[in-house]
Amino acid sequence: MKDIAEQEVIDLPDMDVEAFNEFATQQGWSDGMPLYIPTEDKVAKFVATVRGDNRPYPPVPPRLVVPTIQALAANAVMAGCKPEYFPVATAAMRGVLDPAYNLHGTLATTHSCAPMVMVSGPVRKELNINCGSNCFGQGWQANATIGRALGLMLLNVAGAKPGEMDRSTQGNPAKFTFCFGENEEDNPWTPYHVRRGFAPTDSVVTVMSGEGPHNLNDHGSNTGVGLLTTFAGGMATPGANTVYGKGPLFIIIGPEHAATLKRDGFTIESMQEELHKRSRVHASRISKENQETYNSTGHKPDGDWYSITPTPQDIHITVAGGPGKHSAFIPSFGGTTVACVRIAR
Amino acid sequence: MRIYNPTFGVSAAAGAKVALKPVNWKTDAIALVSNSKPNARELLDGIRSKLGASRQVDNIKFLAKNSASQPAPKDLLEEVAANYRGALLAIAD
Amino acid sequence: MIATETFKPLVMAQAKARKVEPRLIIVKHPIGGLNADELRERIEAATKGLSEATTK
Repeated sequence: MKDIAEQEVIDLPDMDVEAFNEFATQQGWSDGMPLYIPTEDKVAKFVATVRGDNRPYPPVPPRLVVPTIQALAANAVMAGCKPEYFPVATAAMRGVLDPAYNLHGTLATTHSCAPMVMVSGPVRKELNINCGSNCFGQGWQANATIGRALGLMLLNVAGAKPGEMDRSTQGNPAKFTFCFGENEEDNPWTPYHVRRGFAPTDSVVTVMSGEGPHNLNDHGSNTGVGLLTTFAGGMATPGANTVYGKGPLFIIIGPEHAATLKRDGFTIESMQEELHKRSRVHASRISKENQETYNSTGHKPDGDWYSITPTPQDIHITVAGGPGKHSAFIPSFGGTTVACVRIAR
Repeated sequence: MRIYNPTFGVSAAAGAKVALKPVNWKTDAIALVSNSKPNARELLDGIRSKLGASRQVDNIKFLAKNSASQPAPKDLLEEVAANYRGALLAIAD
Repeated sequence: MIATETFKPLVMAQAKARKVEPRLIIVKHPIGGLNADELRERIEAATKGLSEATTK
């Protein structure tokens, strides 16, 4: 008799959801919240949604196993996804498997990073993925369960067990789920996925290993310059991984802030330039010991200033959210990339 | 009832045994490889100094990953393999 | 390989995934954040561990 871990299909006595959750928790399969039961029938329905996508999966680090599509589907079932969400979850999985995403590093690190998942294109509306008010929050099944499905895949397939292969010092609520839609309707610039080379009719998942959103509150500024002053000030944090690790970050502009910036003539490129210049951290805000470490590992300041991204283009900008005078800054792990994957449909 | 195992996958690790040449830690060239986290270099430096009481240390060299968050680059691994009989890696926070 | 006791489970899990058996020298956690006096104990322990591991 094979060990349970080695069985693709497991025969269990019939049990209710509570008993299954006890069993799953004992196996280490749970993120701590209730799970649906990944029965053969349910998994088959999920697998049917990605029949056209036959690209193989590479070994998933750190555990280095090549997953079956059924194992990935089992995690999406357990997360509470509807079958039609599964192609989005598998696209997100492919995104974090981009070698430049550095899945091993982002899972084994002591940093608090979690996979941010942003959905652009027609599928966002079709699946009712929230891109408006409270888009980072609760209340939408697709947002909640697609992000959770990816988290469970990383736990169960990648092997990122907290305290073992997931060494995060404090973790992050975004590790439960962090999925939202791009608000293309209120984006006065080109949609993010189109800027990344996809067609407007493509549906695309964008992933980045990030912290949770940091709010950028600005009710007072009525100019684009004023808003960018607030954004840059919020971004210039000495405790961000990117100060020494370098890497990308996201600025998610709320629609009302976006309208003001657009009115004042700002483009994505001019905002990137402005924010890159103005979000630098002065050396006086970095401890002497950290400056020595940064210098010894090649992260040297420009004069007295440490920039928080290597280039202006590493500041990724788009629009999400609803009415109100708030935007968000999402710092990354640092040694990672922003990966985009077209959703196969 | 029958369920799919959410952890199932095919192991990609070959597990092939690498034939290691014996290392003479009293004389051979040794690489001290830091993960670039604070104090890793200082730890290795302290070990090197202590080794100086019992062996020559001019063939004990320091190497480092250029980022604590990234895997060791291929050229670093090749350098260790080509030039050293032993390597001492510091991996911790 | 020198690792702290806290990170031993990570090393062992990764080694298991790669089907390799690392030669480990385990010292107390942490390394980062220690001053020179505090680090001295780790250096002593690691050197002792290295000596034992290489004279077996």
